[in-house]
Amino acid sequence: MANTKINKNYYGYIFTAPFIIGFLLFSLYPLVYTFYLSFTNMTMMSKAYKLIGFENFKKLFDDRFFIQSLLNTWKIWLLNFIPQIGIAMLLAVWFTSTRLKIKFVGFWRTIFYLPNILMPATIAVLFFNFFSFYGPVNQAAVRLGIINDAIEYFRHSGWTVSIVAFIQWWMWFGSTLIILMAGMTSISPSFYESAMVDGANSWQMFRKITLPLLRPVLVYVLVTSLVGGMQMFDIPYMLTDGRGSPNGSIMTMNILMYMKFSSSKGHIGAAASVGVMIFIVTCLSALLIVKLLSEKDSKNNAKAVKGEVKGYELHN
Amino acid sequence: MNYTIKTKLMRVFIYIILAILFLLCVVPIWILLVNATRSTPEIQQGLSLVPSNNLFVNWKNLTNRGFNIWRGFYNSAFISVAVTVLTVYFSMMFAYAIHVYDFASKKFLYGFIILLVMVPTQVAIIGFYKYMSLLNLLNSYIPLIVPAIAAPSSIFFAIQYLESTIVKELIEAARIDGCSELTIFHKIMLPIAKPGAVTMGIFAFVGSWNNFFTPFVLISKMQKYTLPMLVQTLRGDVYRTEYGSIYLGLAVSIVPILIVYILFSRYIVNGIAMGSVKE
Repeated sequence: MANTKINKNYYGYIFTAPFIIGFLLFSLYPLVYTFYLSFTNMTMMSKAYKLIGFENFKKLFDDRFFIQSLLNTWKIWLLNFIPQIGIAMLLAVWFTSTRLKIKFVGFWRTIFYLPNILMPATIAVLFFNFFSFYGPVNQAAVRLGIINDAIEYFRHSGWTVSIVAFIQWWMWFGSTLIILMAGMTSISPSFYESAMVDGANSWQMFRKITLPLLRPVLVYVLVTSLVGGMQMFDIPYMLTDGRGSPNGSIMTMNILMYMKFSSSKGHIGAAASVGVMIFIVTCLSALLIVKLLSEKDSKNNAKAVKGEVKGYELHN
Repeated sequence: MNYTIKTKLMRVFIYIILAILFLLCVVPIWILLVNATRSTPEIQQGLSLVPSNNLFVNWKNLTNRGFNIWRGFYNSAFISVAVTVLTVYFSMMFAYAIHVYDFASKKFLYGFIILLVMVPTQVAIIGFYKYMSLLNLLNSYIPLIVPAIAAPSSIFFAIQYLESTIVKELIEAARIDGCSELTIFHKIMLPIAKPGAVTMGIFAFVGSWNNFFTPFVLISKMQKYTLPMLVQTLRGDVYRTEYGSIYLGLAVSIVPILIVYILFSRYIVNGIAMGSVKE
C-alpha cells in the first residue's frame, strides 16, 4: 500500500506542470523581457535597436513628468487608502460588536461590496458624466444652494484628484471591510470577555486586543492595496483625456508608461523602463511594509511575507 | 441605565452612517439605470429616480452609430468563459497536487504562490506586448486567454479551499479500486469542490469581464474590441449630447454582472474573505 502511494507522488510534478509552464511563458518571461527592453532604445518605428545601459533610467529621473507621476500615484493611493481602511475598520468593529448587535450585517456587506464588481470602464464614464458641467452633481448642488455656480470639476486638479480618490475608495472599502471582518470574527471572544471583567473600555480593547491580533490581516490588506494602487490605470485614464489632465494631476506611473508606449514613435524601451520602475517601487514598498509591521524576530522578508499570509489563513 | 441609553444612541448614529453609505453605493447605479430609460432633454432637466419611457429610442441611437454592443458582448463573453474554465481547472489541479502528493518542491511552490499574489504583474505588459507581436498574436484572443492557466490568486484561493475539503481516505479508496490519478481528480475531487469552484469561477469571470488594460494594449481591431473597450468609446465625441444612449450603453455593460451578483452574492462575499482576489 505504502508503496503505491509513494509511486504516485511524481503526479505532484505533473499536476503542477501546467502552472509552472504557463507562469514561465506568460509571466516570468515577459517580465524578464521587459527588464531587458528597458536597457534598449527600441521603438515601434524601426527594427534596429541597441543596448544603451541605464540611459532610459537616467532620462526618467531627469524627467519631471516621471517624478510627478510617481508622486501622483502615491498621493491618489494614500488619499483613497487612508479613508478606506479607516471606514472599513470602523464598520468592521461595529458589525462584529456583541454589544451593539447591528442588524442585517450580511445585507450591508453585500451592498458595500457592490461597486467593486462593476466594470471600471463603466464607472469612469459614469462619474465623468456625473461631474460634467451640465451633469447631475452640478444640477443638484446648484438647486440645493450648496454652490452658486456650476463647477468645471475636470479643469481643477484638486477636484479631479479628489474624484479619482473617491472612486477608488468607493470601489474598495467594501472589499476591505469584508477582509477585516473575517479577521475580527476569528479573534476568540474570550479575550474580550476577560478584558471586560478587568473593566477595559471599547477603545482599550480595540487597541490592546483587536489591533495586535489583526496585524497579519492588516499587512495583507495594505500590501495588496498598495500593489493595486501603484498600478492604477483604468479610472484615471478614462476619467479625463488619458494623459492625466488637468495639469497632469492624475497621470499615474502606469498612464505614463502607456503614453510612452502609444506615442507616435512608440518608445518601447522608455516605456519598459517605467514598468521596471513601477515594479521596483512596488516591491520595495511592500517589503518595507511587511518588515515594519510584522514581528520583530522575523528572519527574512520572504519568510515574513509567507508568515503573514499564513497567519491570515489561520484566521479564517 | 446610562449605559443602555449610550448604546442606543450609538446604534442610531451607526444606522444613519450605514444608510448614508447605502445611498452612496446604490444611488449612482440606480441613476445610471434610470437615465438609460430617459431622453436627453429629460436628463438635462434634472435628476429623477423614476424610470421614463425612452429606452427604445436610446437603444436605436446607441446602436445606429457603430456601437456594436452585441459584438462586444460576444467577444467579452467568449474570453471570460474561456478564462474562467482554464483558471478554475488548472488552479484546482495545482492546489490538489499541493495537498495530495508529497514531492520535493511542494513547499517552495506554495511559498512562491503566496509571493506572486503580492507582485505587480501589469508592469510586464511592454515585454508581453513585444513578445506577442513577435509571435504574431496581436489582435488575437490567445494572449488574453491562455495565461489564465497560471493565476496565482486563484491558486491561493484553491489551496485554502481544498485544505478543508479533501478527504484522503476517499482518494486512497479510489486508488485501491484502480482509478487513475487523473480520474480521481476529475470524478472525485472536482465534484466535491464544486462550491469552491463556483466562487473561483465568479471571480475569474468578473475579473476577465472587467479587464480593460490588457486587451486595450493588445487589441486594435474594432471588431475584436471587448466590452470595456467599447464602453470607453462612449466617452468620445460620437455620443456627446446623447446622454440617454450613453447611460444605456453603460447600463448594458453592468447588467449581466449585476444579475450574477444578485444570484451569487453569498458566494462572492464569502469568497473575498477566503481568497481576497484583488484585481
